[in-house]
Amino acid sequence: MTLVQPGEPSTATRSTPIVRVRHVHKYFRRGSEQIDVLHDLSVDVPSGEFLALMGPSGSGKTTLLNLVAGLDTPSEGEVWVGDQLVSAMSESQLARWRTRHIGFIFQFYHLLPVLSAYENVELPLLLLPLSASERRRQVNTALELVGLGHRMRHRPGQLSGGQQQRVGIARAIVTDPTLIVADEPTGDLDARSAEEILDLLGELRRVLHKTIILVTHDPRAASRADRILHLEKGQLVVANGGGGS
Amino acid sequence: MKFAMLILRNVIRNPMRSILSVLVTVVLVFVVIVVWSVLSLLDYLTTEKSQNFRGLVTERWSIPSRLPFSYADPLSRGAARRPGDVMPTDSMTWQFYVSTLDKEKITRESLLFCVAVEPAKILTMMDGLDLLEGNDLAELTRYVKVLEEKRQGIILGRNHAVNLLQKSLFEPKEIIGKRINVTGLATFKGIDLEFEVVGLFPPGRYDTLAAINREYYNNAFDAYQRNTGRTHPLAGANLNLVWLKVPDTNSFTRLAEQIENAPDFANPAVKCETAASGYASFLGGFKDLIWGMRWLLAPACLFTILLVIANAISISVRERRQEMAVMKVLGFRPWQILALVLGESLLLGAGAGMLSSGGTYLVINVLMGGLKFPIAFFDRFMVPEAALWWGPSVGGLAALLGSLLPAWSARNVKAAEVFAKIT
Repeated sequence: MTLVQPGEPSTATRSTPIVRVRHVHKYFRRGSEQIDVLHDLSVDVPSGEFLALMGPSGSGKTTLLNLVAGLDTPSEGEVWVGDQLVSAMSESQLARWRTRHIGFIFQFYHLLPVLSAYENVELPLLLLPLSASERRRQVNTALELVGLGHRMRHRPGQLSGGQQQRVGIARAIVTDPTLIVADEPTGDLDARSAEEILDLLGELRRVLHKTIILVTHDPRAASRADRILHLEKGQLVVANGGGGS
Repeated sequence: MKFAMLILRNVIRNPMRSILSVLVTVVLVFVVIVVWSVLSLLDYLTTEKSQNFRGLVTERWSIPSRLPFSYADPLSRGAARRPGDVMPTDSMTWQFYVSTLDKEKITRESLLFCVAVEPAKILTMMDGLDLLEGNDLAELTRYVKVLEEKRQGIILGRNHAVNLLQKSLFEPKEIIGKRINVTGLATFKGIDLEFEVVGLFPPGRYDTLAAINREYYNNAFDAYQRNTGRTHPLAGANLNLVWLKVPDTNSFTRLAEQIENAPDFANPAVKCETAASGYASFLGGFKDLIWGMRWLLAPACLFTILLVIANAISISVRERRQEMAVMKVLGFRPWQILALVLGESLLLGAGAGMLSSGGTYLVINVLMGGLKFPIAFFDRFMVPEAALWWGPSVGGLAALLGSLLPAWSARNVKAAEVFAKIT
């Protein structure tokens, strides 16, 4: 278990941290008012860890996730992923970096309705210098891994919520990213489908040794993680060991 | 390729909206093409040419111009009197003759508008025909030769041939060899002639014009006097204009001066102007209509296309903000999102434009045999081949301009804001 208190970088890591968040502040301005979302937050995530972020609405979980995934930049502080200072990258650099290093799983799947499951998974690969046969191999592998090898030609509208989320997961892992971030991936699913998705995430961590950061409200989902961080009002308040390991 | 497929699928994802946008664009591009077809011919005619300059001699103070036929010969020589005077390299006289094919029922279709000419000059002096090549040239040369030999011959425009045969023909040449009787109209009353169709003009500019041998036409005035004992009112004023060809602008200036100062052409006085300015003064009466077509109608259509496509693309972008955000999360760069949206509108606009220009060309040129639009001495306008690329260009460009703002907004979608739900 690793917890870094604000202002105090972690020393107790199981392995080299792949994500390093240092003294991050994030605030928004609404007129003359400043709204603090994250306040002097520092955290390390070791490579291969399954980390769950919990906290009440408005605590800054998703904001922290967006910062780590390079979807947003901190107002102050640094975010490192591997040896890259993500917080200093331009929008174009971030986009290029995300293609290779981040796999994002959304609560509402966000598959493109005009594309088949296969084409949705192939989408991020179009941005990489891969031949058609390499792309085909990777897409097939990813879809087989999530158990949807037989649903490749189906459009999202023809799939159940659980199946759509599996396609979303296949899309997130197809580029073999350094880090998988999941924002409430079970929030829109029934209990059974949610269990299946959590099993799948656990498997990704176990078999592929992926580092996973999961934002969730669901204690059962969080219990699958190696570690749980609780955020409140933009600060880490407590850390618990999860049941994942 | 995959990117192009994505663009195509986005365009057809809301078929009704896309079809409506395409239909509006097709109609508006059709209007623009028709307007530009008319304007392009008028522009071509009224633009001064730098080589093979054509001059036009007409009566100075009267429209329509009516000159005595005695002017024909000296004017054809450019009124050259002294050594060193400029001589035109070629010339052609035009004598108008308006008649009807059916004196009982005078309609636009039965009208026959002829010019009486020296047949050989058809090949060298008539605008556009002097540029013919290959089979077209060989065919017209054959017809002209027959017209020289048969004074009662007539070379018809395609529309006359179709009207005479009373059907929409794809082979109007069936008319060749047939005889027709015509009755003079208006000032040509009393000049009734019989012709043998000896050929057809190539399709295009001369579809509504016929050429006859000027010897036969002039003899008709003598015959009128013989038969009635009176001189026909037009007998001393049946030369309408003389075309002169000179090698360059400088020669033309000298020639014009030579003709306008010649004492032989004092009563009636003549003027010599370039063909372009001749056409321009003829079109003067239609100035406001042409101005309106060029600066109001065509721009209004273009602006409407722009608005229609801007509206369709804006709605589409607004509906797909989350998708754009997802694509950004996946690693699509801002310019790629921009290209995606611009590509969609370009496909929509250029595709509709292509459909419209191809359809317009087919319908107007092939099925209708030209667009009826009587303005000045033109009866019909053909859609030029260039219009085949006007459509895609106009549609594509208007669509691109119209989608700039929505595309820019899509480019700037902030994924974090779209998915904003602070937890």
